[in-house]
Amino acid sequence: MRKSRIVGLLFCLVFPLSGQSEETQVQRGAHVALEVCNACHSLKYIKYDDLMKIGFTKAQVDAMRGDKEMGAPLLSQMAPQDELGMFGTVPPDLSLMAKAREGGAHYIYSMITGFYTDAKGQTQNKVFPGIKMPDVFMIAQADAAGKAAIEKKARDVSVFLAWASDPQAEDRTTLGKYVIAYFVFLTILLFFLKKKIWKKLGNH
Amino acid sequence: MAEEHIIKEGTDLSRRDFLGTVTAGVAAAGVAAACVPFVSSMNPSSDVLAKATTEIDLSGIEPGQEKTFPWQGKPVFVVHRTPDEIKAMEASPGGKDPEPDSKRVEKPEWLVVIGICTHLGCVPNKTATGWLCPCHGSVYDNSGRIITGPAPKNLHIPPYHFVAENKILIGKA
Amino acid sequence: MSKIISWVDQRFPLSYFIKHELTDYPTPRNLSYWWGFGFLAGFVLVIQIVTGVFLAMHYKPDSKLAFDSIQHIMREVNYGWLIRYLHSTGASAFFAVIYTHMARTLYYGSYRRPRELLWWTGQGLLLLMMATAFMGYLLPWGQMSYWGAQVITSLFKATPVYGQEIVTWLRGGFTVDDPTLTRFFSLHYLFPFLIFAAVVIHLVALHTVRSSNPSGINLADKDNIPFHPYFTIKDLFGLGVFMIVYLLIVFFKPDLFIEAANNIPANPMQTPAHIVPEWYFLPFYAILRSVPDLAGGVVAMAISVLIFAAMPYLDRSRITGGARYRPVYRAMFYIFVINIFVLGYVGANPPTGPLKTVGEISTTIYFLIFLLLPFVSRWEERMVLARGLPAAVEEQARREIAEAEGNA
Repeated sequence: MRKSRIVGLLFCLVFPLSGQSEETQVQRGAHVALEVCNACHSLKYIKYDDLMKIGFTKAQVDAMRGDKEMGAPLLSQMAPQDELGMFGTVPPDLSLMAKAREGGAHYIYSMITGFYTDAKGQTQNKVFPGIKMPDVFMIAQADAAGKAAIEKKARDVSVFLAWASDPQAEDRTTLGKYVIAYFVFLTILLFFLKKKIWKKLGNH
Repeated sequence: MAEEHIIKEGTDLSRRDFLGTVTAGVAAAGVAAACVPFVSSMNPSSDVLAKATTEIDLSGIEPGQEKTFPWQGKPVFVVHRTPDEIKAMEASPGGKDPEPDSKRVEKPEWLVVIGICTHLGCVPNKTATGWLCPCHGSVYDNSGRIITGPAPKNLHIPPYHFVAENKILIGKA
Repeated sequence: MSKIISWVDQRFPLSYFIKHELTDYPTPRNLSYWWGFGFLAGFVLVIQIVTGVFLAMHYKPDSKLAFDSIQHIMREVNYGWLIRYLHSTGASAFFAVIYTHMARTLYYGSYRRPRELLWWTGQGLLLLMMATAFMGYLLPWGQMSYWGAQVITSLFKATPVYGQEIVTWLRGGFTVDDPTLTRFFSLHYLFPFLIFAAVVIHLVALHTVRSSNPSGINLADKDNIPFHPYFTIKDLFGLGVFMIVYLLIVFFKPDLFIEAANNIPANPMQTPAHIVPEWYFLPFYAILRSVPDLAGGVVAMAISVLIFAAMPYLDRSRITGGARYRPVYRAMFYIFVINIFVLGYVGANPPTGPLKTVGEISTTIYFLIFLLLPFVSRWEERMVLARGLPAAVEEQARREIAEAEGNA
């Protein structure tokens, strides 16, 4: 018992953001994505066990997946043919959305928060005119406090979708720093070796 | 002598001085490190590794019946042995690769073996007394032990354990 | 060891080859770093072949699976993301290196007699590379892949009489589809090996006529130095600098050359709002669009690539050293380079309003430079000779002029 508590304490020290009380932005975004977006949109390149890579524990993922398998992709909760009947289109998959639009995560944020009510009383979107998606967070009707809360949710989910489009980003930049450091070192060595070899030629 | 002379001329500059040796060493280490991702990319990818374990529900298999399940792409034979078969197997020491039956099962009524002939990798067919490999005629008994034929070893037992009364998880002992 | 080497040497000229083509190969000592880009191109070719072979182990050339298999590589294959980004960035790096290599050849007049064949094999390499890159771009099966292939194969409609038949034949269908993808994959795998063979031919030609050098004059023997170790180390240092730039993109900005729309699976029913080719095709694409007629545009684009082959004949000056001693040619070179960037910008943006006019003017300038060169180069030759040149350069120029007039 004591041993496991020490391990837990160490874990919190090493990964201070993955503690249970304080969720990270990407984790909050994951909740929004699974509880709101995932009703209609798939995230087919993300599997439930991938969520552990953003710091969720196995128990947390178990709670999120319900009766779905750990290795199952995050398909939309509505069947595509039902969606076709309801919206006239199948809502696009979101796993690559942050890469598939110019502006990436900023685009997603602007789109979610871009709903407004026009002069005719209809809901429109600033960045996506003619959008078929409803104003799920009802930002068009929200008051100032409501708007701030929705904007926070939109930011969270944009960060999550940016992660989903590029889950290797952290590994990549970590490895990249070592690789670049190596090549800078090697190139400096080559520079001096080159100078040394060419010096033997003399000038004429 | 002649050989030494040639080598000296060719690698004169990189061999003699310290800077050249260090640079060559660092470059060689880099080439070796660059091989890692390429070699590693040929190992099973994460979605393949995710299928490393398989859960099998035994409740539908009647005594005396055999069923084949895929595990890691390989056939796994699961046999619900009858009391007679258990008795016969426990009495027999096996063939050319002797092994007591008790060491080959978790529970005597359930035999779980990898269905790949230890000779050259064919899948043996079930017979009343065990298995017969169609490729080269190896004969196995109802404990998956080799009796006659060219196969050198008994059928392998995959790592598995009972997760419930009628459920096993293959892939993890 | 020496026994093994002599055993081989009696049967195959191994030592001779290494000595003749590498360790003792005489190289002008005054070659600058601009002469290192050929080596870099060879290195990038190797990167592309190696990463490509490993990608092909996981990629599935099927219109229903291709897009997903790329995501499989990016997310599930061990280091798949690294190999894929090395390959996608490598394509851009290859063109950047080759265009620099060509610019050096043009600036220093390295295409001149006796290096015409060397220049033409290089031209063939460029065409092979362009075809390989174009076919490779279809493989991710994203929206840009799909519509790029659709548009470029449509260009063959301009062929007289059999236009439509040829387009259908190229695609293996009435539109770009599964048969197009599988054949592009097959050829995309084959072509790099043709490129490799063509590189060998290019090198044989190079070692026959030897490297040009920045001074332009044929150097005396004492000014040649063995390739190894002097240029092996110089090229390797250049490679180090190149790798830093290349890997900075691979690790920190890997989507730099991947269009956002290519992260949407191909949809034959819907063209993206704005389609653009890869950056290395933009200037030629701008020329294509600047000619209002389809056939005319295709011909103009084809000529814009092929016209480089005529350089040894278009440039009639006998002054050696390329732009170095030729102020007018130098000015034309810089105008040409700036114009290429203008064309690239035009090609990247929708052809509307003033940009359309800019594109038309730039296209005219592009061809005008080539067409004026024969006249300008002779006039410039007389002017420069009258003004006086360094003795060695003038001597070589006068000798070449005398030879040419003797032949006539």
